[in-house]
Formats: sequence, C-alpha cells, structure tokens
Amino acid sequence: MKRSFFSGPYALWMIMFTIFPIVFVALYAFQDNTGAFTIDNITRCFEGTYMKVLWRSVKLALECTVLCVLLGYPCAYFLASKDFSKYKTLFVLILLPMWMNFLLRTYASMSLLERNGIINAIVTALGFDRWNMIGTEGAVLYGMVYNYLPFMVLPIHTSLKKMDQRVIEAAQDLGANPARVFLKVTLPLSMSGVISGITMVFMPSVTTFAISKLLGSGNFMLMGDVIENQYMVANDWSFGSSLSLFMTVLILISIGLLNRLDTNKSERSDNW
Amino acid sequence: MKKFFKGLKGSYLALILLFLYSPIAIMIAFSFNAGKSRSKWEGFSFKWYQELFKNEAIMEALRVTLTVAVIATVVSVILGTLGAIGIHACKKGWATTLLNLSYLPMTMPDIVTGISLMMMFVFIKLDRGMFTMILAHITFDTPYVLFSVLPKLKQMDPNTYEAALDLGCKPMKAITKVIIPEISPGIITGGLLALTMSLDDFVISYFTTDKAQNLSTLIYSAAKRGVKPDMYALSTIMFITVLALLIVINKRTTLENIG
Amino acid sequence: MPDDVKLIELKHICKSFGDTQVLKDINLYIRRKEFVTLLGPSGCGKTTMLRIIGGFENADSGELIFDGTDLSGIPPYKRRVNTVFQKYALFTHMNVFNNIAFGLKLKSPAELLPGVEKPTRRQVKREIARRVEKMLKLVKMEQYANRSVDALSGGQQQRIAIARALVNEPEVLLLDEPLGALDLKLRREMQLELKSMQQQLGITFIYVTHDQEEALTMSDTIVVMNHGSIQQIGDGKSIYDEPKNAFVANFIGESNILDAVMLKDFEVQAAGRVFECVDEGFGENVPVDMVVRPEDVMLVGADVGMLTGMVESVLFKGVHYEMMISSGGFRWKVHSTTMFPVGSEVGMSIIPSNIHIMRKMALEDKTAEAQA
Repeated sequence: MKRSFFSGPYALWMIMFTIFPIVFVALYAFQDNTGAFTIDNITRCFEGTYMKVLWRSVKLALECTVLCVLLGYPCAYFLASKDFSKYKTLFVLILLPMWMNFLLRTYASMSLLERNGIINAIVTALGFDRWNMIGTEGAVLYGMVYNYLPFMVLPIHTSLKKMDQRVIEAAQDLGANPARVFLKVTLPLSMSGVISGITMVFMPSVTTFAISKLLGSGNFMLMGDVIENQYMVANDWSFGSSLSLFMTVLILISIGLLNRLDTNKSERSDNW
Repeated sequence: MKKFFKGLKGSYLALILLFLYSPIAIMIAFSFNAGKSRSKWEGFSFKWYQELFKNEAIMEALRVTLTVAVIATVVSVILGTLGAIGIHACKKGWATTLLNLSYLPMTMPDIVTGISLMMMFVFIKLDRGMFTMILAHITFDTPYVLFSVLPKLKQMDPNTYEAALDLGCKPMKAITKVIIPEISPGIITGGLLALTMSLDDFVISYFTTDKAQNLSTLIYSAAKRGVKPDMYALSTIMFITVLALLIVINKRTTLENIG
Repeated sequence: MPDDVKLIELKHICKSFGDTQVLKDINLYIRRKEFVTLLGPSGCGKTTMLRIIGGFENADSGELIFDGTDLSGIPPYKRRVNTVFQKYALFTHMNVFNNIAFGLKLKSPAELLPGVEKPTRRQVKREIARRVEKMLKLVKMEQYANRSVDALSGGQQQRIAIARALVNEPEVLLLDEPLGALDLKLRREMQLELKSMQQQLGITFIYVTHDQEEALTMSDTIVVMNHGSIQQIGDGKSIYDEPKNAFVANFIGESNILDAVMLKDFEVQAAGRVFECVDEGFGENVPVDMVVRPEDVMLVGADVGMLTGMVESVLFKGVHYEMMISSGGFRWKVHSTTMFPVGSEVGMSIIPSNIHIMRKMALEDKTAEAQA
C-alpha cells in the first residue's frame, strides 16, 4: 500500500463536507422557490437596502480593523522588543482571550456596557445620567475590537519575532537612527504580519451577526444579520445563499488583493 | 531615558491588558456576588455556582459541548494525521490540490461554512442535533490538525521512513513505530488546537444544530434576553478551563523548544 | 580482499524519472567482501543505483541478481542489505540504544537466539543488549547508549547510523555519501575507520560519493559514472593512471586535456607540434583528446624543452607549486616543486608514456562537463 493513499479519507471528508455544501450554496443562489433557474436573488443583493447594510458592515469592519492595527501594532512591537520578550506569560495573557469562547467574550463586553453594568454604576455614582451604550454603533465597534484585537497582535508579533535581528543591526550600523530603522526596516518587514492580521480581523468582523445582535440590540443590521435572518426567520434560502455567495466572493477578492500587496512589498524590500 | 521608555511601553501593555481583562474580571468578581446586582457588591457567596449546577439546561449544554469537542478532536486528529502523511508522500500536483482544499474552510467566513453545512444536512434529511454538530466540528478542526502535523513531517529526515523499512519494518509498522512517534509533537499540538477551536465555536454550531444546545448557543439565546448573573458563574468556569488548557499548551511548546 | 564470487549483479538496469533517464543500461557485478565505490558528479545516477539495490526504487527494466536470486520487487525489509543514509535518518524520538536495537526488536526470538528453545523475554532482552553493545564498541560509542540522538555531534550521529545498519548483520552495507556533512579532518579519520571496519566484518560495502579522494582511499573497485552510464570500472590506480576517457581523466585528479589529432600509431599532434606516444590502433588523422597530468609535465630550461611557454600565474599548494603556463595556444596546468616566477620563459617536456590518448567524448557529455 502506498503512503499517499492515507490522504484518501481526508480528501473524501473534505469533498463531502466542504465542496458539496458550497455546491449547495451556489445552486440555491441561482434558484427561485420552485427550483427554477433565476438570477433575481443575485440582483436583489444589489438593491439599495442591502447595499446600505453592506456599506455599514464594511465601514464598521474597516473601523474595527484600523483600530486593531493602531492598538495591536505597538502592543506586538513592545512584546517583541528586548524589554518584554522575556516575559512569556505577558504574551500568553494578551493572547488568552483569543482562545476563550467567542460568545463568552461578547457576553463579557455586554455586561460591562449594559444599563445596570459597572460603567453605568460609576457614571451614576458621579452624579451623571445613565448612559445607554448598548444598542449604539459604538458598542458594536467596541465589541468587535474587543473580540478581534488578539487576532491582530499574534501575526504581527510572529512576523516581528521571525525578523532577522542582524538586519536591524545592519541598518543601525549603516547610520540609521531609531525612527528611520523602524520606518525603513522594521515596518516593511513586518507588513506580512499586519496583512494576515487584517485578514484575520476584517473577515470575521464583516460577517459577524452575534456581536451586532447582542451589543447593537438589533438596531444595526449587518450583512451577517441579514444572512442569518434569511435562514432562521424569513426562510428564504435562495436569497440567503445569494448573499452568502456575494460575501464570500467579496472576501476572497479582498484577501487576494491583500496577498498581492504583500508579495509586492516583500519584493520591494528585497530589492532595497 | 531608557528606563523611561521601558516604563512607557509597560504602561501601554498594562492598558491593553486592562482593556482585555476588565470585562472578564468584573464577570468573575460578580459571579461570587450574593445579590443579583451586576454593579453593587452584596457579599461573597457561591450561590450562582450552586444554581448553575442545578440548572438542567446548562448542564446538558455542557455535556453536549464536551462530547462534541472530544469526539471531533479524536476524529480530526486521526483524519488530519493520516491526511498529512498521505499529502507528504503525494505527488506535487495532487498535494497542492488537497492543500488548497484544506485552506478553503479556513478562509471561508464561518457563517458561510455554517449555512452551507446546514443546507446540506437539511437536504439529506439528517436531523440537526449533536451528530450534525460533530460532523461540522470535525470539518473545521481537521485542517488545523493537518497544518500542525505537516511541518513536523517536513522537518523529518526524508529517509526516516525508508530507514525503518531498511531495518526490517513492514510499511504499516514503519508508520506506527517510527513516523507517528516522530511527528507526535505536531499531532498533540494539532489536537489541542482542535479542542480549543471546538470549544470556542459559536457560529458554525448555531447553524448546524437545532435540537441540541451547546454552551455557545445557550449563552447566545440567554444573552438575547439580557445579562443574567447565573451566566457569570458559567463564564468563570469556562475561562478558568481555557486558562488551564493554554498553560498546558504553553508548557509543552517551551519544552519542545528546549528539547 | 574480495572473494571471487559474484554477490550482486546488475544486468541492463534502466531507470527514468519522468522524462529524464537516470540510469542507462547499467551492467555491473559486485563481489563478496568487496569495497565498491560509485563515483560521479551529482545527478550522475549513483544514488539511484544504490536505492535500487536497497529496494527503495524499482528499475524500469533489467535484472538485479543477489546471491543467485532475482531481487526485483522484493521490498527493502526482506533484503539482506542495510543502508547508511546521507543525513543518517536517525529516529529522533529514541535514544542511541533504541536506535541501534530497532532492527533487532523486529526480529522474532527464534531468529535472535537460534540455539535456544523457547527463549524467555529476559534472554531476548539480554541478547539485544549484548548485540547493541557490540555495535557500540565497533563504532567506539560505548558511553553514549543512553544519550538522545539530538544531543550528538554530526560525527557521532554518523557512527550511530553505521551501528544501526550493521546490527542486523547485513551481507551488504550501502552508504550514501555518509561523510558529506563532516569536516575534512573528521572525514579523513572516518575513511580509514570505515575501511578497517569493512575488513574486520568481512562484508561488502557499496559506497556512493562525489569525492574522488575518498574513492581512491577506500575502494577495492571504483565505478566512475556520468549521465547515468558507467564510464570506467577498475581499481584506483588503474583509473588514475589509465583513464578511459577525458571525463574520467578530468574527474579523477587534475588534467590537461588538449584537442589533438592522432597522425598515425605512436604519433599525435597537439598544441602546434607532434608528440611521440605509446598509443596505437586509433587509425590515421583521427581527432582525439590528449590528456597529460599536471605532475607529468617536466619543467626544464627554455632552450631544451619540447615546448616553450610563459609562466602566467603561480600558486603555492603546500607540497608543490601550481603554475599556469601558456604555450602553443594552450594553457597548461603544471605541478612542480621548483618555482618559476611569473613572466619567465620555461621549457616543458613530457615522456611518451605519460601522454594518454582518448577517443573524443560525445558532445552532450562535454557540455555537461562544462556546466559542472
């Protein structure tokens, strides 16, 4: 028996539970309720209501991604720096929430912001009016950043750690000051980490539905909510499939573009 | 000056930690609160924990979560390890096809994986419950096992398998006695990864089960009705469990680095 | 010294990977107790040949006869042949003792203790330990039995790999560039040790290397290969002194290879003059290669040599000087213990028996050689 045959069961499983289901999505996306071929559901995705939802989802996800980069990069950079790289526990602590149940994290942020939560207790104790945070866009954004920040820190930290320290020493040796070393060497070389961080944050946040439901009290329908609605409430699988297909294509395109950006960057830094 | 910068960096990291942990810390603290309030301390008690263990629905969800996680981990470890060994021995073209196929569930949004599996289960008239949830979890766990094992196979001396045959092993024995022990660190890491992924999952479980609830789906339906402190106790226990699991993983990886 | 018994015979062995033909009609026999080296540049097919003998590859066509029986299709675990792999392929999850004991543990108790009826587990254990210790002693690694293999140096890992392969008492040991990863000094030491091990054990060694010095030091027989064909088979001395073609001449030791024309028997024209030589039977006015070893060019006064030339460069090589001397449109490489300064005129003489005449190589071989 050849060793390559061992991949058989795995290949079979992946075909049955990855390829087939996708085929279902694709088939339903081009069907009406009677099962006849139609592209109506696809064109419906481009209607104003859904474009508005899409725009809101993308805007929120982008805001979340930008915030995660701004907060996460320094965090990863400091953790990888000589001062803190020896504290392994610190690193584990920052990543720990990543491994915590996703719903739990959302629940935790919800309990912080809620009407009878600790922030409002402090706010009222100081003599101000209660602050209704749940149900605002800010709360949704907070929930996203809270959930996905560790996913940004990890890849950036990895790429910084992988970097050859001698490159930095070489740059210093050639007379670059710390700011220049960072801008011209460290940052470009850690770009691949930033890009995979962006993928890991943007993708789940643009398709989330739980965060917007719980922290937005359903006031902010996102693409994920609309898709979930088609399956759990409206029972319109065809339209749900169209939306899913639409989102998947959108995400695959953006991942492709990001990866292209990545190779360009590394080529450029190689030439440099 | 250097010390000043170190202090600055340290304060920043402390702020991030505060950001990440204050909600959790508050939850843990108030899980021991005697009263119902989530902002006012009314004395220490295990009241919510007692209530938690009396709550049949939560206990059932815990059983479902653990059963699904354990079965999905075992199956995905077997499938993923065999798959990795197979792919490693495959011709290049076939190997690349399989690898791309493995990236697919990792890059697809969870919600799409979830609804696609749901549609298939409904189509083949499989009742959505614990069984379908296990199938779904195996599907998203296995690539993680595969990608933990593959690097170990690549690191291995390319002649290891042949050396075992040369010394008298039959092919099956060469795999069980030599290849699998050689790559066991990757298998264990992959298994732990699969376990945590499975415990973490909400979105895919949400769509692939109807009857059986796991903790994620239970918390979701509870949270839609607002925050209740009985969930705090559950969250605390889950948090401690993940923390313990992560410490174990971390210990392992440091040991690996030394060994 | 090898017996006069053919132990392994390769008959018309051919092998291709995809479109590339790696072995082209290989015919070779190997005697019992012989130390055979397969020598050639990388990609010449030597490792593939070894892997066919080991059972890791199957030949596309041809026969592999081992001790009178055809081995084709017999898997490696059924062959009385063991291999020392290029990077050793030690089992990193086992310590030194268990690596060596691996092959023994796969044997049945009856195989391990043929004289004993119903051996106890204890007896088997003791027998395994005894044999492992014997091997450790052979490779001078007695103190290392309980070490992890990762904690050993390259040279030590090498010894364990040899012990692990020898513990099964194979009739033939295959070694695939086993010294490639070691430094020069350790390599020289191991060469001598391997040779004495082979003589002590009295088994056949088939050794693959691209290092001609290694081949010359250890082998009873050298098989020079290039582009999947055997170029020459012989002992070290005959291959060095009587290379069959320009490839062998160039690969084993250094050579001056000149385009020449065989005018008639015992007379060859090259570098603008006619030399007397000892070769015959090439025909008349046939283009040939003329090969002269650098140490066979004698430097004499400018006025008395067969050729006069100008010294272009001088390198001190320890025992001798290596000089490049241009003469008659050719740059000669000359080894000599006396040094002539750069720019000086020297005379060169070559005695007829040191001129080797060879048929022209096929064109593809020549281009490949230029690439190498």
